[in-house]
Amino acid sequence: MTTRRFPISRRTLLRGAGVALGLPWLDAMTPRATASAPAGKAPVRMAALYMANGVHPEMWTPKTTGRDFELSPTLEPLAKFKNDLLVLTNLWNQGSKGGDGHYVKISGWLTCTTVNKTLGVDLNCNGVSMDQVAARRIGGQTPLPSLELATAPVSTGVDTNVGYTRVYGAHIAWAGPTSPLAREINPRFVYERLFRAGAPQAESAKQDLLLLDRVLGDAKQLRGQLGVEDRHRIDEYLSGVRSLEQRLERAAQPQKSEWKPRAPLDPAAKPEGIPREHQEHVRLMFDMIAMAFQTDTTRIATFMFANEVSNQNFSFLEGVKGGHHDQSHHQKDPDKLRAYQLINRWHVEQYGYLMDKLAAMKEGDSTVLENSMIMLGAGIRDGDRHDPHNLPIVIGGRAGGRLATGQHLSYTEDTPLANLYVSMLDAFGTPVEQFADSTGKLPGVLA
Amino acid sequence: MRAPVCLAVLLPWAAAAADFRFPEAQTLLRNRCLGCHTGKAGAGGFDLARFKTQDSLATDPRAWNRVVARVRNGEMPPQNAPALTIDERKALTGWVESTLHAAACSDGIQPLRAPFRRLNRAEYAASVRDLFNIHINAGHALPADGAGGEGFDNAAETLFLSPIHAEKYLDAAKQALEYALSEPRARVRFLIAEPGPELNAEAAARKVLAAFLPRAFRRPVRGAEIDPYLTLFQAAQKRGDSYDASIAFALQGVLVSPQFLFRVEPRPTQPGIQLVDHYSMASRLSYFLWGTMPDAELFDLAANSLLHDPNVLDNQVARMLRDQKSVEFAEAFVEQWLGTRELGRDIKPDAKLFPEFYEDEVRSGMRYEPILFFREVLMNNEPLTHLLDADYTVASNKLARFYGFDSKGIRQQPVRFALPEGHRRGGLLGMSAILAVSSLPHRTSPVLRGKWVLNSILGTPPPPPPPNVPELKEEAHAGEAPKTLRERLMQHRQNPACASCHKTIDPVGFGLENYDVIGRWREQDAGKPIDAKGELPDGTVFNGPAELKKTLLAQKDVFLRNLTSKMLGYALGRGLTLEDSCTVDAIVAKLNQNEVRAQTLVAEIVRSVPFRYRPGAPPDRKTPTQPAPKAQSQKEQTR
Repeated sequence: MTTRRFPISRRTLLRGAGVALGLPWLDAMTPRATASAPAGKAPVRMAALYMANGVHPEMWTPKTTGRDFELSPTLEPLAKFKNDLLVLTNLWNQGSKGGDGHYVKISGWLTCTTVNKTLGVDLNCNGVSMDQVAARRIGGQTPLPSLELATAPVSTGVDTNVGYTRVYGAHIAWAGPTSPLAREINPRFVYERLFRAGAPQAESAKQDLLLLDRVLGDAKQLRGQLGVEDRHRIDEYLSGVRSLEQRLERAAQPQKSEWKPRAPLDPAAKPEGIPREHQEHVRLMFDMIAMAFQTDTTRIATFMFANEVSNQNFSFLEGVKGGHHDQSHHQKDPDKLRAYQLINRWHVEQYGYLMDKLAAMKEGDSTVLENSMIMLGAGIRDGDRHDPHNLPIVIGGRAGGRLATGQHLSYTEDTPLANLYVSMLDAFGTPVEQFADSTGKLPGVLA
Repeated sequence: MRAPVCLAVLLPWAAAAADFRFPEAQTLLRNRCLGCHTGKAGAGGFDLARFKTQDSLATDPRAWNRVVARVRNGEMPPQNAPALTIDERKALTGWVESTLHAAACSDGIQPLRAPFRRLNRAEYAASVRDLFNIHINAGHALPADGAGGEGFDNAAETLFLSPIHAEKYLDAAKQALEYALSEPRARVRFLIAEPGPELNAEAAARKVLAAFLPRAFRRPVRGAEIDPYLTLFQAAQKRGDSYDASIAFALQGVLVSPQFLFRVEPRPTQPGIQLVDHYSMASRLSYFLWGTMPDAELFDLAANSLLHDPNVLDNQVARMLRDQKSVEFAEAFVEQWLGTRELGRDIKPDAKLFPEFYEDEVRSGMRYEPILFFREVLMNNEPLTHLLDADYTVASNKLARFYGFDSKGIRQQPVRFALPEGHRRGGLLGMSAILAVSSLPHRTSPVLRGKWVLNSILGTPPPPPPPNVPELKEEAHAGEAPKTLRERLMQHRQNPACASCHKTIDPVGFGLENYDVIGRWREQDAGKPIDAKGELPDGTVFNGPAELKKTLLAQKDVFLRNLTSKMLGYALGRGLTLEDSCTVDAIVAKLNQNEVRAQTLVAEIVRSVPFRYRPGAPPDRKTPTQPAPKAQSQKEQTR
């Protein structure tokens, strides 16, 4: 094989056979006119916040349904946002029914599929997460297609007890069946990333493009040397390079965007790093999500309070001793149940913090919260049972008026969670006919 | 104490019970499985009827590995059919595994394809460090890598890339170059030519690149491969950048190239297994034992085609282990093997109950104790059984004092430290990091500790609890008559479904009850004396950690097999297969011939077939059968 010189022939390269073929989500980055919001109207934002280890079932679900529902003890901290809430009962995730323990539940939470049982070989979620379905369609309209955040690095090792790699326990966002999206856990790095993405300099963007050209040149050459079974790895890298390149190209030739964000990124809000206190860490990450939404750096975010099976020590809460996972296996012990509920409630309070933050961000006559839909939930209901029936799910914000909030909706048992995602994607402006095992839209959700 | 007969209820391969052979297996399969799994329309597409002899299992190892997994997990027979007893499950899976194992090893050890993988975060940082001789962590902003295979974050199967990686690599490259240009000792390493009266800028840049690229790509580089990087240099010159800045720009391009970021081994062109090329061998060695790129000596040996010589490899192993860089191997391997990396992450002792853990020097002493102890065993070529029991440890002054020892003569730097008379420590099981990582934040858990020993030390993780069985209840309900933890565990074990595993798990954990959550010795807990007695299913009785360690030492081969599997998986950067178990067998046998010396383990892994060889080129697709060697060589000649 001869080595070719590559001056600035990116276009030619990309047109080259093979490169695009291996990249099913490449066109994700291309803006589509159909998906963009009407000029001048604020875009809809979407976030999914994942709680590990389920909830105390009796304390989660409100006793009454409809518009006049009464908040449950765990959801009580959201009282001031009751009219912005949708509490959804009896949704289940059929795809995550099998398998041992937690891993199937978490990694399939947003994909509604069954992940392969593996310590690593053939790692596959067999789907795409709903946030990435949206990102494929409109991710190209913002500097970052989506933001993936967490508070803990992926856990060490593989779980030989149940036969899953812990990679599954740390990923809810999947760009493709074999492509979980790595999360950022340091709020400072998130800030820096938002900053770089939001305000790139044309000159440095041009230089970076030259470097990325070089990457594409080497990658293409290398790809030809690899066996079929290894090509997907180089394709993953190519895909990342390509999306970065598109972003830089937009920066080098700024086009007038249809939506003018109401606020620039605030340099004073730059976090120091990872704080010692867990609550502060979570709140800083929420600050970053709020800022990313307000500045329109991205419209899609996923966040994991913790990796699944997390044994995060919650003794900073009065009345709790011990780790999260340990308390979630309460075996109906009143002490453990009490502690478990306090931990659940703490999660809801942090969710309230984000809602507060978004509600305080004015956007014309509206607020960022009004224009968002922020989902909070878990992949199992009762932590003692590893059961994906009747999942705890709430949504906050009206998606710019698309959601009929202020209700507790209880469905017939085992209504697919995927139906909610179909409705959410609709409200987001990226409608799909079908998502995983969906059977239609979820009635009552859309306004 | 009785001599332990077998803790080996879960011992892999050896688990084939003497009284469970082909006829018994046949009867069980016929009665319990064949009803559904028969013929072309067999359930799950699995036709059991086509396996008529024991030998025929080897015709479809994949299917039988699935059988083992599903039966072991209790997924088969399905819920509507009567379940197999735990003993039946063990007998059947043990028989299948030993049958497959025997078949796999009978026709010689075969290497597997080395999967293509990127450098993980630590390898990336170390490689950038060594390329430029700079001491910054260029990988600090990269996302952490998950683990696969044998539980390590260098496993090819889980080293995926997200779009965020491309961004981070670009930033890291800029930062590294900026730093390298400002450091005189780094500049001399890579800026080997500068323009002068005799040398124009482009020629100087070509010299720099010609020296740098082979090190970055870890192989010889042809002249034409330099051109595109020279183009980057020229582009920077054209826009008016200085020589230094232009070189930096070209080198940034090198650092984001997949040729640097990925471990690339040339594809074989000929059929039949063959030794990997010398440069690939240099990288295999250096990423195994140093977690970084090869040094000048390894590159030299590769250039002189000396890395196929087993004696050269032995010498390199000894040299590399002596090098300070082997701490990185010890750290990455030990922290992931033993799970201690989670300490201070997901696993944190309660700060109110155990403030001592939060004294920085104590905690860092704890964290490094197993790592440095392991390295000490390696460097001094001690018997690997020292990992289970030893008369020394590696401690800082604060840690020694924490353990209640006289710390005279020890400073802040951890050093090898002979344990005093009556020390009650020695070996991994007496180390705080390990005792803490197998505890709950507020109290010890014999179940977690027992599980930790079975999993990390013996490599025999207990299966998950069967469905619909309540989890083990370790704490009393409010208002319930107070019972000791032991009483509650005993009660729980009256349920046969629980007992089958917990009768092995719990006693091991009880043997360590004299250590509190952060590993301090205690005679009492909550005013009651500690009861550290345990009795294993085979009748082995022990009391306290010292006797537990003897029990484990009597299971030395199980431990060695586990350690060998873990290290081989780490060295190969992938999960092991049944084929690899033959290699593990051979290495364990070698260890036993060599007083179980630590360097024998490393050297034998390096000498092993999967580490040194690769499979040949796949047969030509156009020809339905593999061409005979002769035909192939003719074909080669015509090229």
